[in-house]
Amino acid sequence: MKKLVFFLCAAGLLAAQDAVPPPVTARSRALDLAGAFANDGYKIRDGFWSGTLEAGKPQFLQVNLFSGNEYWFSAAALPPEAKLSVTLFDESGLPVATEIFQDGASAAAGFIPDTSGKYFVRIALVAGDKAEFCLVYSYK
Amino acid sequence: MRCALLAAGLAVCPAAWIPASEAMTKAQIQSAAVSDVITIPSPGEFFAALDDCGQPNWKQMFQPKTAASTASREQMALMLGVLVADGYLAVEAQDGQGVKNTGKEIINLAKKLGLARENDNDSQRLLRRGNSIFDFAENNDWSTLREELEATQNEVKLLMVEQKDKDLVILVTVGAWIRGTQVAAEFISKNYSPGLAGILRQPAIVEYLLSVLDSLPEKLREGPLIADLRKKLVAVLALVQTKDRAPLAPEAVQELAATMLSLVNTISSGEKVP
Repeated sequence: MKKLVFFLCAAGLLAAQDAVPPPVTARSRALDLAGAFANDGYKIRDGFWSGTLEAGKPQFLQVNLFSGNEYWFSAAALPPEAKLSVTLFDESGLPVATEIFQDGASAAAGFIPDTSGKYFVRIALVAGDKAEFCLVYSYK
Repeated sequence: MRCALLAAGLAVCPAAWIPASEAMTKAQIQSAAVSDVITIPSPGEFFAALDDCGQPNWKQMFQPKTAASTASREQMALMLGVLVADGYLAVEAQDGQGVKNTGKEIINLAKKLGLARENDNDSQRLLRRGNSIFDFAENNDWSTLREELEATQNEVKLLMVEQKDKDLVILVTVGAWIRGTQVAAEFISKNYSPGLAGILRQPAIVEYLLSVLDSLPEKLREGPLIADLRKKLVAVLALVQTKDRAPLAPEAVQELAATMLSLVNTISSGEKVP
């Protein structure tokens, strides 16, 4: 039922828009993915992190998370042939267990911290040589 | 967590909880990007964590601040941040009139900073945000209001950069963080538990804010308001930098609450810095 409602809403929104669709960017794709979590009560942060990724050169972002909250880090890349991964590390750089979603040029990691504090998000190219990327996050 | 993806017709990886395989190197830790708009949590995020762990009475806690009459642009920028945090508080309290009043204060202060001029196209963006806040509050759309408040804050920062006031941008972030921390610390000092006190352990944020304050132009950095702010943040860093990621002790929470309250009062009342 939820799926049906989602597609009906999406169809309604598309019909309501004017003829020229907005350009597809890594950010718009990342926001599309994050929008899926909004259906489950996650609020999307207005800020984003973007740049260029090269094969074998992952990038890292420092974030500060609160215990008690749940997080999803959603990323997307252009060109669409690129494949991304999103992973998380604690403040000493050790990997933490996350729930993952991966669909070609879009990827997300879900995380519920036990401890408040500094964490790192790693975004890496799994397939492709170079890609523009954008990462957004949502919380509840 | 999976419900969200399933609702959107997306498939979750079958092996749900997967740790990344390799640890980060020291060089990777040191070179990790830090971004004002994403590394620093919004007050809404802070309050969501507090809500989950402590069930605060938000209506009682929503005691909005009003901006003092001042010619100091840095004080106004800090106050803008305080007001944004107050907006989130009003949303948590589900106080529609409170949200509208705070939104109006934000726009008024932005006008004083020259960020919301009636006849300027760029400024119209901010004025439209102000109207949206009013409309969403009218409709009790609390979830959208949280996003709109952050978007308004980022719009203010963007306009500051556009009008070559980029040094004020970080002060908006600092003001919002101070007010959020003051409200949380005050609540936790009255309802102490180690779980709640863990929320206040944010040394990385304080270190980041101090580093950005240090990079401000000397004239701004050495003015009495910013110098006092910096001094107090150094003291705050010592309080929140606990060993082995332990939560803050009750005494540390009380001291943090008192320090933050004194900062909020200085920013909002225009009290002379001693």
